[in-house]
Amino acid sequence: MVVLTSLFLAFSAMVVGLLFMGIGRKVTARLQRRYGPPFWQSYIDVIKCFSRNSISHSYIQDLGSMMGLAGLIAAAMFVPIAGWLPFPSASPIIVILYLMPIGYLGMAMGVSASGNPLAAIGIGRALTLMLGYEVPYAILLLTFIASSNTSSLAVLSDLQTGGIGNWFAVKMPIGFIASIICLQAMLAEKPFDTMIAPAEIASGPMVELSGKFLGMAFLQHAVAIFIETGLIVNMYLGGGATVLSFVFKQFLLYTFAMAVNGIYGRYRVEQAVKFLWIFAGSLAVIQLLINIF
Amino acid sequence: MSKIDEVRDYELFIGPNHPGIAGNYSFKMKLRGDKVLSAKTDAGYLHRGFEKLMEERLFIQNIAIVCRICVPDPDPNENNYARAVEEIAGIEVPERAHWIRTLVLELSRMASHLFSLGGHAATTGLYVLANWTIADRDRIMELFEELTGGRVYHIYQLPGGVRRDFPDGFGRRVLEVMDYIESRLPDYDDLAINNSLFIKRATGIGVITKEQAISWGVTGPNLRACGVAADVRKDDPYEVYDKLDFEIPTMTEGDSYARMIVRRKELVQSINIVRQIIDKIPSGPVWNKIPNPLKWKVPAGDAYVRTESSKGEYAYYMVSDGGRKPYRVHVRGASTTHGVHVLENLLAGSRIEDASQIMFSLDACPPEVDR
Repeated sequence: MVVLTSLFLAFSAMVVGLLFMGIGRKVTARLQRRYGPPFWQSYIDVIKCFSRNSISHSYIQDLGSMMGLAGLIAAAMFVPIAGWLPFPSASPIIVILYLMPIGYLGMAMGVSASGNPLAAIGIGRALTLMLGYEVPYAILLLTFIASSNTSSLAVLSDLQTGGIGNWFAVKMPIGFIASIICLQAMLAEKPFDTMIAPAEIASGPMVELSGKFLGMAFLQHAVAIFIETGLIVNMYLGGGATVLSFVFKQFLLYTFAMAVNGIYGRYRVEQAVKFLWIFAGSLAVIQLLINIF
Repeated sequence: MSKIDEVRDYELFIGPNHPGIAGNYSFKMKLRGDKVLSAKTDAGYLHRGFEKLMEERLFIQNIAIVCRICVPDPDPNENNYARAVEEIAGIEVPERAHWIRTLVLELSRMASHLFSLGGHAATTGLYVLANWTIADRDRIMELFEELTGGRVYHIYQLPGGVRRDFPDGFGRRVLEVMDYIESRLPDYDDLAINNSLFIKRATGIGVITKEQAISWGVTGPNLRACGVAADVRKDDPYEVYDKLDFEIPTMTEGDSYARMIVRRKELVQSINIVRQIIDKIPSGPVWNKIPNPLKWKVPAGDAYVRTESSKGEYAYYMVSDGGRKPYRVHVRGASTTHGVHVLENLLAGSRIEDASQIMFSLDACPPEVDR
């Protein structure tokens, strides 16, 4: 049963993530005064990618691709959806944050195997950006642990039941803003999409991905969207009374991120890290100090 | 070079299919990490041999060729070609045709600047502006379609005038489009010019000093962004520019951001020029008939004419030996300087994330380089 529910969650994370991606493309298109593709375009893209021939540069690329997707799916298993988890666990945030980089490192390993310098630059930027958003994010986690005496996402979600007034977004607004900034970077949306940057490095990590590998990358991004928005919903927006309300809150967060993505340009990687450390980092520290004293 | 540097250095080809390239272009860059050590441009992806083609065709046939030398801003080519033939053959052009030609040149400049602003913004990830300016440019394309029958290539300015007069109500529709584009400019400013993120990305990037610009032969908006108020429309007026009131916007910083602002300001000047033309344009014929173009022998002689295109100073040198075809047509493409050696100089020492921004901010048109 655990296996089945885990598979169901993994599949659901992909489906929801791809749906968000499709709607995000529509939002972006409307901001740009275009009609845009239908919201189900991302599903078609993935199906198409998996039906095409793939070029593998070495077994490292195969391994990296699978490791990337597996790492993120493993992280998704610990994100409670309206209080529900595929198997009994306390959904520790630390574990989620340890598992998520496995996804990115898998991607890094896979695309590095191609030897394309644009991919290597993209991966270098992605890992540099991780330094940028993980520091403020870690401070925010410390804030939660210090003030709530728990690192369990499920417990944090439960603490917010009883109405909007109990949400940490209301109780800790400064930390919430810092988290939203970090979310933008985690989602790799503008102004933090330096690792993709089509005009600079021709989509970076994706430049050498074809067929199934590109399909895997799409799925990886879909699961990442599900986890990253899910974390914020559980930490700040009261989780969700039902699965539908949980996904709706995720959707609002993602749509906001896409709107910001639509109207801003892109930082250089060092500008992005500086911005994250100075603004998101400062806000996180302020929230930590407020909570401690 | 140390052993480590030998390993870190690599060569990168950024070709015509790269999303950050301005059309028919490519670079071979030597990089160390993300720093560009040197760059070599190749502008020959649209090589058609325009100049040689023109020697093999009748004078009238070349009208359909010259506009293809610069796709985003084709009309200065037509204007130069027509004026060169007129000067050699001693053809008078009706007054109204001069005004219409000026209108067409300014509309073309606006269309090109809108394209350039969008392209420049897109290199920093600001795709909204790119989509907006291209959609707004389409309004100008519709005007061209109505006036000339063609959206991109117009083949409209002939020796002796222009091919046809305004359709009914055309002047009113031109003014409507000008009002519309003027109303859009504050949005462009909010998105890019006044956007702190864009300012961070564009300031201090691809700096050309005034002295460098002059010694490298830079012209057009790129020169004016360095503080030199040089413009053929003022310095050597042609068509009816001497009868129009307009300013030459300049900046002094010489960087990528300054180049964008100059183009933005030039849009305002072009809108004013177009309004003046619609207000003052005289009535009368638009074309003085030339001899049968299939048998027309243009007298022997030569002519050098120049216009101010959206890219810079655009010149044609034409020689006729008295035959039915030009003996020689030399095109001085405005991008010849900033599209190749200026760009190569600016790229050396820059970083890979700024390479396409530098290129787009210079607004080169590769076929002008390789004719």
